[in-house]
Amino acid sequence: MITLKINGLNVTVEEGTTVLEAAKFLGFPIPTLCHMEGLSPYGACRLCVVEIGESPKSRLVSSCTYPAEAGLIVRTSSARVVKARKMVIELLLGTCPQSKVIQDLASEHGVRQQRFRQEHEDCILCGLCVRMCSEQMMAHAIGFRGRGEHRSLGTPFDVKSEVCRLCGGCIYVCPACQLRCTYNQPEKAICGGCGNLEPPCVEKPQFDDMMCYMTPCVACEIKKD
Amino acid sequence: MARLASIDELHSLQKSLAAERRPSPIIIIPAGTCGQASGANDLIRIARREILKLRLTRKLRLRVTGCHGFCELEPSVLVLPRGTFYPKVTMANMARIVAAVAEDRILKDLLYVDEKGQTIERQEDIPFFKGQTRTLLARGEQVDPIRIETYLEAGGYSSLASVLLRRDPTWVIEEVKSSGLRGRGGAGFPTGLKWELLARQKKTRKFLVCNADEGDPGAYMDRSVLEGNPHSILEGMLIGAFATGATEGVVYVRAEYPLAIRNLRVALRQAREFGLLGDNILGTGFSFDIDLVQGAGAFVCGEETALIASIEGRTGEPRQRPPYPVQKGIEGQPTAINNVETWANVSAMIKMGAAQFAAIGTTGNTGTKIFSLVGKIKNTGLVEVPMGIKIKDIIYDIGGGPVEDIKIKAVQTGGPSGGCIPAKSFDLPVSYDSLMKAGSIMGSGGMIVMDERTCMVDVAKYFMSFLKDESCGKCFTCRKGTQRMYEILEDISKGKGTFDQLDLLEELANTVKDTTMCGLGQSAPNPVLSTLRYFREECERHVWDKKCDAHVCKDLVGAPCQSACPAGTEAWRYVAHIRRGEYEEAYRVIREANPFPSVCSRVCNHPCEEHCRAGEHGGEAIAIRALKRFVTDRVDPSSYRPLRTGYPDANSPRVAIIGSGPAGLTAAHHLSLRGYRSTIFEQAAKPGGMLYSAIPAYRLPPDVIRKEIESILDENIEVRCNAALGRDFTIDSLQSDGYKAVLIAIGAHKSLRLGLPGEDTPGIYPSIEFLRAFNTGGFALARGHVGVVGGGNSAVDAARMALRQKEVKTVTLFYRRTRAEMPAFAEEIEAAIEEGVILESLVTPMRILAKDGRLTGVEFLRNKLGPRDAGGRPQPEALPGTEFTASLDTLIVAISEGSDTDCIRAASSSLIEMSKSGTVNTDPATLLTNRTGVFAAGDVVTGPNTVIDAVAAGKKAAVMIDRYLSGTTLRQPGTARLPHIYVEPMGPPGDGNGNGHRARVPHVDVEARRRSFAEVDGTLSTEDARREAGRCLRCDLEFTQPTKTKAEAPVVEGVAL
Repeated sequence: MITLKINGLNVTVEEGTTVLEAAKFLGFPIPTLCHMEGLSPYGACRLCVVEIGESPKSRLVSSCTYPAEAGLIVRTSSARVVKARKMVIELLLGTCPQSKVIQDLASEHGVRQQRFRQEHEDCILCGLCVRMCSEQMMAHAIGFRGRGEHRSLGTPFDVKSEVCRLCGGCIYVCPACQLRCTYNQPEKAICGGCGNLEPPCVEKPQFDDMMCYMTPCVACEIKKD
Repeated sequence: MARLASIDELHSLQKSLAAERRPSPIIIIPAGTCGQASGANDLIRIARREILKLRLTRKLRLRVTGCHGFCELEPSVLVLPRGTFYPKVTMANMARIVAAVAEDRILKDLLYVDEKGQTIERQEDIPFFKGQTRTLLARGEQVDPIRIETYLEAGGYSSLASVLLRRDPTWVIEEVKSSGLRGRGGAGFPTGLKWELLARQKKTRKFLVCNADEGDPGAYMDRSVLEGNPHSILEGMLIGAFATGATEGVVYVRAEYPLAIRNLRVALRQAREFGLLGDNILGTGFSFDIDLVQGAGAFVCGEETALIASIEGRTGEPRQRPPYPVQKGIEGQPTAINNVETWANVSAMIKMGAAQFAAIGTTGNTGTKIFSLVGKIKNTGLVEVPMGIKIKDIIYDIGGGPVEDIKIKAVQTGGPSGGCIPAKSFDLPVSYDSLMKAGSIMGSGGMIVMDERTCMVDVAKYFMSFLKDESCGKCFTCRKGTQRMYEILEDISKGKGTFDQLDLLEELANTVKDTTMCGLGQSAPNPVLSTLRYFREECERHVWDKKCDAHVCKDLVGAPCQSACPAGTEAWRYVAHIRRGEYEEAYRVIREANPFPSVCSRVCNHPCEEHCRAGEHGGEAIAIRALKRFVTDRVDPSSYRPLRTGYPDANSPRVAIIGSGPAGLTAAHHLSLRGYRSTIFEQAAKPGGMLYSAIPAYRLPPDVIRKEIESILDENIEVRCNAALGRDFTIDSLQSDGYKAVLIAIGAHKSLRLGLPGEDTPGIYPSIEFLRAFNTGGFALARGHVGVVGGGNSAVDAARMALRQKEVKTVTLFYRRTRAEMPAFAEEIEAAIEEGVILESLVTPMRILAKDGRLTGVEFLRNKLGPRDAGGRPQPEALPGTEFTASLDTLIVAISEGSDTDCIRAASSSLIEMSKSGTVNTDPATLLTNRTGVFAAGDVVTGPNTVIDAVAAGKKAAVMIDRYLSGTTLRQPGTARLPHIYVEPMGPPGDGNGNGHRARVPHVDVEARRRSFAEVDGTLSTEDARREAGRCLRCDLEFTQPTKTKAEAPVVEGVAL
């Protein structure tokens, strides 16, 4: 058993536990996108960064991959962590603005702007689907190809995979596939109201043929400001 | 060859190899990849042929080695034991060299020639080699990489033998630790510590890896060691294996190094054959074997965890550390990874002993480091220097300083993960810690030198483009972050950047640094961060002024001749008109931008020509100034009617302009065109200012000045001569007289003084006073033996002017450094010496000698050139006891000029802020001084400067005063001045002159001009001018050609940003 200190609290966990799991055990929320129980940790989305060590030698690491070490000092929401996390979310938003999961994250973390040139990618390369396919479905049908900005997901040579059973596990875990309500804002603006249940803007003329199931939409709230 | 069964057998083999060696000369031809590319293979072929033909096989030997480092002069030949170095050997010369070596002769004509024209025979005397400490590189000269015998003969594998003899692994580790050797791959982790960690691991399988995945752009030191001396790496790894108990070794080398791979393969085979690798090495029972793995060329595979993944056959992606490779590496077994240079250092260190190794370099940074010195520097190549050496020593002494005398701006170390270090920090010692502190890293040792023609935004953009392709893509922040940083930098380089984007860039860079997993991502923002840290102003120039001062960013530069001109003259346009024979059109283009065309056609320092693309890469720039002269001499100024945008009425505000030099007159002219009335106050009897005070008549006849000024003056401009600031009026009185704006443009009329007692003795004149007296009144002040102190243009002007005056016998120019360091234009110095000016360099005036109140001489002290300052300029050092007296009748002091700022102080009730050097402080963006409504422009702001800069300042002042008086915002963003008018070319661009040579301006020959005040430079003939204009490459067509569809604005999906 190992004892480490998270946000000032001691926690004792088994060897091999990750910092993320230890923090969850204490109930500290750490946002993640590429992490899922049952799949191996990967460390791609960098949302789960936490600060370890003591200043000035402290550094940020991804908690989902960092193993708990005896005597480790961890802060899950220091100013440095929050700043980095916000920037990561802003980057995610710039890449994949239509994802409901990312919209929710932005809303939750108070990211109200997106200063990058808007892209519309449908993938953030978190690798959940790849791991789902290989680790849970035992299919190994899809994987990463290329590197850098040419990195992409798919089957080898883009040929339909013979081992794919069309189980849909890849789509089930995808955080980027779910679409968001766009409201009447320009696409650059961030709607962050996806925690809502009633339609807020049906009365508005622009939305007569659209269903929105959230209220009061944060987009409207922001507009009021 | 049978296996060596014991250490004794190794020693006896080494002895017998050494005994066989005949004391004959050796011809060494370095044939690394670089040597082969520049023709070393041909040299080898010819050398072999000649040796056979002349039957010299018993008389001399030929050795083919890896690269020796001086890439600039490849292919080269080194002859031992004399150490003769022949650079850039051609095939014909190779045969001569063979014959000469056989007869023990030296071919003087082929030897290296240094800057001063002296030939240097021996390699070690050449400055490039002299400054180095070549521990590793010199070993490469002894070894033919594919012949293990040469390595053994040179004492190779002795270090291994001595280690094996001791039978004590802990001793080796202690030795490595006490040597202070740190990893040469970049991070500088102590090698001994890493080995100790590996030795402690209790596993039966342990790995050692040689990381030869060298991928930094512009770095190739690992390649040269691999190619030239592979056995030194194998020996190092064997020692490491013995020390740590490792059982298997891997050399991970990138597939793009075919020669290195070949040489390594040969070396591995030979080492196995000799029993130096494999089971039971040298009969000691110690076993270790090394495998070769080729990398597919991903930059990220140089990162240790990615490298391990790649060796295991998986995608080269880094993983989280811990566990560190030393705990869990290849196939889960403990693994220690060291760089090529580290391994090469191990065998060298054991051989020389840890204490001696630790004595090289500084504490904490011991030994030598190889750098690949590339970029805008004279001597490119591999240099091996002790750690702790200063950057300036590498750049100016070993590297030989800048190419074409363009000032060096920065040096980039550490490749894409490193950063730029600006020239002002060149005093920095090169060590892991100091570079880290400066925001860069040592990296594997790339050192890219950049000069004033390198745009830092462009450099950062290049590295980001490299990294966005070479990031593995696993970490979202690294993949997307590098893309986004590239995107922002591209926006900035295209003139679309904003200040918000600059802040975002910095914020993003810091986040990427913080949140990525591996070393690549964590150091990827370094190029951006160091650019923002040291060159933020340059970035802001791109963002706000839309200017790229290095003339690199195409979308901001347009035609370089136009953007280089401070006044924005469309040089390409009038050159095109000259080509077409439309001279009046050409004149109009010139005159529109510059109210002093005739003056500038004679004395402009022509920045347009400096940046002309025809002059790049060894070509000759278009003679733009000569073409301007051709037009202005031919076209009557009255053919130009300026475009007026406003007309003054009774209520228009009046502007007071103090000083009637080029800045003041230009401002008055442009204010007049905008509909303002102005009054120029001039201290002297006629307007002209610095044009009369600083430029000698043989370059700019006073008549030309007079005519030019007459053509500028109009009914809106009133000139009041003999009105001095402080004496006849003050700034307060101007404002109370109803002048709504005041422009101070009084120039820099005050020569700085030597600061010696007796400087007011008659016979001593400041250069300004001296020139002005002649230009305006025809008074010749110089007589007898004349001395001029100074080395700038004004000193040379004064010297040449003095030479022409009647009562002058001799003129001597006294300068404290040497001719090479004189700031004056080289051609001016040349002309002065041609005319008979004597140059006395390396002297400082010490004492003024006078008799009967009249100057009789000056006592000087001789100097020598001392150490360089950070800018690379050697400082003069006095040599006491070398005083000498020069008897002089006239002394002209031309060390520098300043403004007569006393009058400004006297003339303003509230203090106008000045700098320490006596110039008026203004906001560079608005030219406004700290006093409301008072502007300043020209030399009074900048210090002594060029005419065209003064014209530009005057134009800008007019714009600012217009904005001020009309109540609009003074500070407005600039726009990129791109060519927008299409002038149809005659014939293809660059055509028109068969031999492509620049037109030569006719000069009055030396004899005729020596005693004459007539103008020296003539005008081009019509034929020459049109031919010269035809040489223009027409950079403008890229922007103006009508057939070309307009550059499409980048498509942004969805929203317009």
